[in-house]
Amino acid sequence: MTEKQQNRCFQEFIKGIIRENPTFVLALGLCPTLAVSTSVSNAIGMGAASTFVLIGSNLIVSLIKKQIPEEIRIPCYIVIIATFVTVVELIMKAYSPALNRALGIYVPLIVVNCIVLGRAEAFASKRTFVHSFMDALGMGIGFTLALMIISIIREFFGFGKIINYPVSYNFHPALVIGMPAGALLVIGLLLGFFNLIKQKK
Amino acid sequence: MKGLIKYGMILGTICLISAGLLACVNLLTKERILAQINNEETASLKEIFPDAVSFSPVKQKDTILYYLAEDSHKNILGAAFKAHGKGYSSVIETMAGVTPDGTITAIKVLNQNETPGLGSRICEVEADTTIFEAMKGKAKQTTPKKPWFQEQFCNKNIDNFDSIEAITGATISSRAVITSVQKRAKEVLEMIKHNQ
Repeated sequence: MTEKQQNRCFQEFIKGIIRENPTFVLALGLCPTLAVSTSVSNAIGMGAASTFVLIGSNLIVSLIKKQIPEEIRIPCYIVIIATFVTVVELIMKAYSPALNRALGIYVPLIVVNCIVLGRAEAFASKRTFVHSFMDALGMGIGFTLALMIISIIREFFGFGKIINYPVSYNFHPALVIGMPAGALLVIGLLLGFFNLIKQKK
Repeated sequence: MKGLIKYGMILGTICLISAGLLACVNLLTKERILAQINNEETASLKEIFPDAVSFSPVKQKDTILYYLAEDSHKNILGAAFKAHGKGYSSVIETMAGVTPDGTITAIKVLNQNETPGLGSRICEVEADTTIFEAMKGKAKQTTPKKPWFQEQFCNKNIDNFDSIEAITGATISSRAVITSVQKRAKEVLEMIKHNQ
């Protein structure tokens, strides 16, 4: 691999984290973001599961992109994504039932997460194997980081806790931040914040 | 028409490969998932009757009605059972133990998906260490506490649940646990009487 190719790979990886962050810049996959960002441990679990599905589906889609006819690409992608989601769900049930219970319905719902389908459609179906892998890894980490930022804010202001430890015995949290409405507020403010940074540049 | 068959074949092949992969994963994880479920069940039974040595399930056809808890002298300590109550956003599944004279030994919420911060507080444990104390390494090494809402049920007679305090802002979830445990406990006691 020449230095230029390496640089390109790194660019595909790094863009998912800030410049094209799936939650804050592309605004994809907001439904699970609203629902599971109530605590940091949920956020990490959800982020890891999504990252696994993203990498798996992006790799397979980029491998067989030539065999998939244009007209039926969406059902093909959905089958591939659903397979990886079911694998994640089974593994989670076997090794971490508590996490599986906390995430509940949002694990099977990764199938219809627009980040996964969006990356398969917009990226992996046109690009090489290695680039697709780097893209999935970057996007997955970007999604996980975004979930973590939101959940840290919501856990602190909504429940008065940091990583499941209360901040103080006398701190009365604003419960609305812990509710879905509060998640919308937090995400809206963060989106504005990220836009502000982009404009300054 | 020709395209249609070709598309069907391609999609069918992808589905077949996926199904094969899933079958393998299922085979690999099936035993572990079952073991996890069993582990959780015995762990919660132990929590409800810490003195019991054996739990014998009483079945009707294939569904387990309740577990009879016995100590080492084969004395019957009571019955452990599962109660289901419709909460605010989910069905709350609770395991509870009742002695033959109608006293609840303990309850444990097994499954719930109530609103985080409100209904989910039926499983809230009173915290005794703040983040600052934990970071300084001053975490108090106390024995793990039980959730305070569930603690209220201990040693209460099933006809005397009025003194159990519901959670502020989560009346529906609290009532769901209280009424479902009460109703199921009465049914189980009735069944035990009937069987003897």
